[in-house]
Amino acid sequence: MGFAHFWLSGFDQIRTGFWAYFAVGLENGSLYAMIAVGYTLVYGVLGLINFAHGEVFMCGGFAAVFLTHGILGDSIANGWESVFLILAGIAIAGSVSALVATGVEQIAYRPLRRRNAPKLAYLISAIGASYFLQTLAGKEFGYGQNVFPAQVFPAGQTMFFIGKTPIHTIQVVCLVVGVIMFIAADRIVRSTKLGRGIRAVAQDSETSALMGVNIDRTITLTFIIGGSLAGAAGFLYALQNGIVQSSGTELGIYAFTAAVLGGIGNLRGAALGGLLIGLFGSFSVPFAFEGNISWTEIYTFIILVLVLIVRPTGILGEKSGRTA
Amino acid sequence: MKLRWNKTVALASIGALAMTAIPLVAGSAPSGASSKPTYVIGVQGPFTGADSDYGDYDYAGVEFAVSQANASGKYPFTLTTEKFDDQGSSTVAPGAAQKAVGTKTLVAIVGPAFSGASQVSYQYYHAANIAEVSPSATAVALASGTNSSFLRTVADDSVQGSADATYLVKTKGVKNLTVIGDESFYGAGLAKVVATQAKALGAKVTTKSIANINEGGGGNAGAYSTLATSLAQSDPSAIFYGGYAPEFGLLLGDLASDGYTTSKHVIMSGDGSNDPALLTSTSPATAANGSFLSESATGKVSYFTGKLATEFTKLTGVKAAVAIYAAQSYDGANAIIKALVADKATSSIATLRSETVASLHNVSFTGVTGPIAFQSDGNLKVDKGSVQISEVKKGKIKLLTSVG
Repeated sequence: MGFAHFWLSGFDQIRTGFWAYFAVGLENGSLYAMIAVGYTLVYGVLGLINFAHGEVFMCGGFAAVFLTHGILGDSIANGWESVFLILAGIAIAGSVSALVATGVEQIAYRPLRRRNAPKLAYLISAIGASYFLQTLAGKEFGYGQNVFPAQVFPAGQTMFFIGKTPIHTIQVVCLVVGVIMFIAADRIVRSTKLGRGIRAVAQDSETSALMGVNIDRTITLTFIIGGSLAGAAGFLYALQNGIVQSSGTELGIYAFTAAVLGGIGNLRGAALGGLLIGLFGSFSVPFAFEGNISWTEIYTFIILVLVLIVRPTGILGEKSGRTA
Repeated sequence: MKLRWNKTVALASIGALAMTAIPLVAGSAPSGASSKPTYVIGVQGPFTGADSDYGDYDYAGVEFAVSQANASGKYPFTLTTEKFDDQGSSTVAPGAAQKAVGTKTLVAIVGPAFSGASQVSYQYYHAANIAEVSPSATAVALASGTNSSFLRTVADDSVQGSADATYLVKTKGVKNLTVIGDESFYGAGLAKVVATQAKALGAKVTTKSIANINEGGGGNAGAYSTLATSLAQSDPSAIFYGGYAPEFGLLLGDLASDGYTTSKHVIMSGDGSNDPALLTSTSPATAANGSFLSESATGKVSYFTGKLATEFTKLTGVKAAVAIYAAQSYDGANAIIKALVADKATSSIATLRSETVASLHNVSFTGVTGPIAFQSDGNLKVDKGSVQISEVKKGKIKLLTSVG
């Protein structure tokens, strides 16, 4: 009786608050998707998990904090000023993260690649880069100091209502920016010369080198694309949640999971996986046993395991798992 | 040429060492100086990170007590202080405790500041017979056994949690309360006391828990958004959060975004959130306005008054009016000093440490916070008293009333 009541109560909460859960799920999912793209691209071209990618995201968040406070101070932006600051925040945070991602590639991975190091060496190097960036941020900005960017629009601002549910500006911005940046990345990978290079390297790097693809340049540009999306996500995440040196680890795990769920190496799979995990995490909150929110993570990973049992390469993954 | 250069450098180095050695020797043994032994009273707490205020205030209280003791000249020892930074984290604390245990002239610790850090540090101090006198670790389960080496100069969470529940149900008339614990040793413990007491007083209580982010809980900030959405949907008349300021600030911002505000609801937290860091951890900062914060009266900040407050600020550079738990640290350090005086053996630090544990259980004096004497389980003998409720008003934490 109690068990049935628990589930019925959960469904009742979903029914009454559907749009609220949907909006927050899309917001989180958009951020996971933007970060997941970086994981999947790097996996596509290098065949390795860039464990420092969460910290690349974190650097973008901190960059946005400094940029927005430098421009706005303690004031709150509105109207066109908000639009300008959102664009500037995305540009700066994306650029800083792209720079950091490039640095990670040049320092942590390239020397190993030139020496044909085993994959295990890449893994250790990635973890080292992750710890380095996290520790550096902790020392510079304070361990556990959750800092917020200036209010580029009023925090908690409602943009419109669906029924009686307020939909917030940050939720709309996360979704719109996520969709635009994902489409841009997808077009680059599918329709440009650079994209052809990325896909060629992902399929067979030695043959693509023989065919004239500049491997080093292609890999660097892959890190730049992934870093840019992660940086923009860092900015948007910080607007809602603030940013702290450990933020990258938390979000990185979710984003990596999203990339695997969607099919690691598949760009569209990463986006789909991110959105699904965001939505699933949100809609599972009413079903958390004894109100313990950690159950949402358990549910999420149970679903991940079930999906992988049925489709080991993920929802949109292909047999090679490296399609970029 | 290279050899000559090396000789020159070597000669210059010897000369420089000789020059520096002279004042060093003179400084260590001034004429007429007594041969008093020097002991270290350590302070374990967060000196970096979001909660570093707590560590700084604790240290200031100990520094003040030690300075007064040394200046009095009446003790057969000289005291110094040393910081051991645990960042308030259960994962960092064991390292800090081991470093303290390895400090050769350390006789006792004031701290740790936080309950979770205290829980994991205890085994190291207990094994080395080092007394810990915490000014602010309030989790009920910390004090237990007999002749405990963990003692505290603050009332435990059973006092604060019960008073918080009474304030919510009796004073604010809350009928439907959601209590959230942050899964930390401290936060979950306080939340449990509040939930139990509020239920006993007749309120409908729903319990929830969410992993903290900054105290080693590994939580995810995005989960706070979804929790806030869920809370706004269920719309309880009040929320109590057992945890620390950074996460409480995050929750306040998320709740305000979802329309769950302090203007229509009661939102409260305990002493873990009663920290100026709450105001910088909340976005928008106005979302914190109207929230209530409690702390045990034994944790109030107004114990240093008049001349004592002036001297405290002059020595430490810390304003007495904001230095939460500095007075408890001051009393803790003075308890250790009185125990050291009562100790008989001076033959070895190891003996002195274990004697200090035993002597602390026999100290009895009136500190600035009230009577200081310990039960065999380490709790204060007078482990009761009122609890103070503060409210955030216009971006400042203002004392509102005393309850309990």
